[in-house]
Amino acid sequence: MRTMNKALDAGPGQRPMPMPLAEQARFALALTAGKTAAAAARILGVGGGTSLPGSIARRIDPQVLQKVADASDVCKIFVTGSNGKTTTCRMLAALAHAGGLSVTQNRSGSNLLQGVISTALRGADLRGRMDAQLLLLEVDEGTVGRVIPELRPDTFAVTNIFRDQLDRFGELYSMARQLQSVIDVLPGSATAVLNGDDPLVASLAAGATARSMFYGIQADHAGEQVPEHAADTIRCVRCQHELSYRVVHLSHLGDYSCPECGHARPALDVAVTAIHPSPQGGSDIAVQTPAGDIELRVPLPGLHNVYNAAAALTCALASFPRPIDPALARRALAGVRPAFGRLEQIQAGEHQVTLAFVKNPTSYNTTLREVLHRPGRKHVVAAHSNTVVDGEDFAWLWDVDLEQLVPQLASLTVSGTRAEEVALRFKYAGADPSVTQVIPDRAAALQTALRKPPPGEDLYIFAGYTPMRELRGVMQRQGWVRPSWEE
Amino acid sequence: MTSAPVTVRISYLYPRLLSVAGDRGNLVTILQRCSWRGIRYSVTEADVGELPDFTQSDLILLHGGQDREMTSAARDLAEKAGPLREAIETDAVVLAVCAGYQLLGRYYAPPNGPTLEGLGVLDVVTDGGPTRFIGHVAVDCNLSGGTRGQLTGFENHSGRTYLGSGVEPLGRVLAGGGNNGDDGTEGARYRQVYATYLHGPVLPKNPWFADHLLATAIARRHPDFGPLAPLPDQTEARAHAASMRLAQRPATGWRAAAAAMSRIGWPTRTARMQGSGERSAEAVKKEREWTSH
Repeated sequence: MRTMNKALDAGPGQRPMPMPLAEQARFALALTAGKTAAAAARILGVGGGTSLPGSIARRIDPQVLQKVADASDVCKIFVTGSNGKTTTCRMLAALAHAGGLSVTQNRSGSNLLQGVISTALRGADLRGRMDAQLLLLEVDEGTVGRVIPELRPDTFAVTNIFRDQLDRFGELYSMARQLQSVIDVLPGSATAVLNGDDPLVASLAAGATARSMFYGIQADHAGEQVPEHAADTIRCVRCQHELSYRVVHLSHLGDYSCPECGHARPALDVAVTAIHPSPQGGSDIAVQTPAGDIELRVPLPGLHNVYNAAAALTCALASFPRPIDPALARRALAGVRPAFGRLEQIQAGEHQVTLAFVKNPTSYNTTLREVLHRPGRKHVVAAHSNTVVDGEDFAWLWDVDLEQLVPQLASLTVSGTRAEEVALRFKYAGADPSVTQVIPDRAAALQTALRKPPPGEDLYIFAGYTPMRELRGVMQRQGWVRPSWEE
Repeated sequence: MTSAPVTVRISYLYPRLLSVAGDRGNLVTILQRCSWRGIRYSVTEADVGELPDFTQSDLILLHGGQDREMTSAARDLAEKAGPLREAIETDAVVLAVCAGYQLLGRYYAPPNGPTLEGLGVLDVVTDGGPTRFIGHVAVDCNLSGGTRGQLTGFENHSGRTYLGSGVEPLGRVLAGGGNNGDDGTEGARYRQVYATYLHGPVLPKNPWFADHLLATAIARRHPDFGPLAPLPDQTEARAHAASMRLAQRPATGWRAAAAAMSRIGWPTRTARMQGSGERSAEAVKKEREWTSH
């Protein structure tokens, strides 16, 4: 595959004006304090130190992020969107390593501003310079507007816009407007990598100076004719008419066009042309790219992971300085393991536990579809809490097709600070209240739930971000699973 | 309960267009509470361009959406106006939530964009505000016929709705923003139209309210049906209590600051609605604008 962008070979970039001494001292202090906090957190074992260092450094020097960016000749790739950020970044990192590139990335899902700063600090030396060739960041879609002015990306990818935490973000279109304003200010040397199958995301390139690259699925046999009821209704960005789909792959992602004004999906730069289930539970895909055709093995199940792989490949094509060897890329991608909590398989004593992080109707329904394919009755822990990360409003649970899970449900343990709400949703989905236990405390809920499955039946955990971390933490203390920050 | 077979006829408006915040749960709740009691039902979905005969409906559900979808819904609702009005004037039960509530009013004037004409069956007007009311809500209701209860749910709206004399509020706000954050009212009631800003969705967490709508809808064509059979609502009661606690938890951080500001008379507070003269919603709003300066 040929190189498409010379971001890394651009030679010495424009150096900013030297900082005044006081500013230099402040910067040095912020770096030292942040790095010390990270080391201390790790030694004391109080978590991965994923957001505290950034928080401290930023308090000392509010411009710490910008200064690190200015001091380093590093290619910056940002990935944002409602779903798929973490997995896309994992796949992209694998491709980068296969291409011999060194990477600094925020792996632990710490994608709010403090986490991003912590990651930048971790990759930088005490003069604030990063020696990695790629800075790969997944950025929370609500944080993007605050990060971008400080840290200008060379490649900016948007995976999709689904309904997610309306209480935090307002509505889909305001989220789109925010992302559009970010893309509008990217310079001509930058690339916007956009999911062409998402009508809202594809429209973000309209006023961009930056080059855009669209990816999507061109294979007709994988998909439905109409969006599922939980799909966000997306109307034509030009004339507001309801879009019609030639094929729907996932929620509102697919090959769409407007019957009224003719506006349609853009031509795809990177197109997945064939998808076949692979024996190991993932997909074998064929992809058309400007650098030639390539065949890849996506080791993770589901069409959403095909999208993630296409996004990662497009970012690689857009930003890697050297062409990637197709055989190496194939091997690298095939070796990607799921991110923590993404249908993660955990051996918990004699029980097999599947840990699934669910955060909006699309991610929950996609996860359910995978789980329902598996044989046997399901013992389930469903946990949600109201936190800054998880939001306050859990009305979206009513758009999840839990009715389809109920016939396979053997037992249900609901947990989290919103356990009562979850129990209510399951009751109206048809779950028998007599097999439902409400145990808000996460550790106690897990302990109880693990006693329920007889041999041969598995436990499935569906949880929002915070309870997922907590439940994983409980299993980590049992030695069943490694800490997430060691991944 | 009589043994005469009863079928509740439900119209579910804009199932795809106005279905952004889990409000489909209201339909699920009505259907489950029917089937648990052996009451039959039929559901007619009415999307854009479809014209069901609303006068045949016992219960009509009209939910919330985003500004862009609302514009399409407003255009289409004008086409459905005739039979919908007739159904309302003959006491069909209507649950209208958020955007659905606003569209039944006289108008909705979004912060940017043209004013949307509403159906005008509710004497209310709505203006888009600079900020959104987002959070848990608790409401005290005293419905006609002596039904009392507390409603709880989650609001997420920038519209400020002002009631005229042609409607009654659905309830008084115990915690949360309600119609406009000023006058302590939440929602509106006219004949058997129940309009509210509460998502959550509102019915599963407030089973007494779901049953009130259901019983009223049945009584319209079957006045001898009698009271609904009681259901074991422990799960509902726990969810209701949890949501009430969230709405009424002591404020911290910004919520505390905002509450303190409003206590010292910072201009978040305006005069309470007083008097009972015949005033239209527009007049009420103008008066309020004047008193707030």
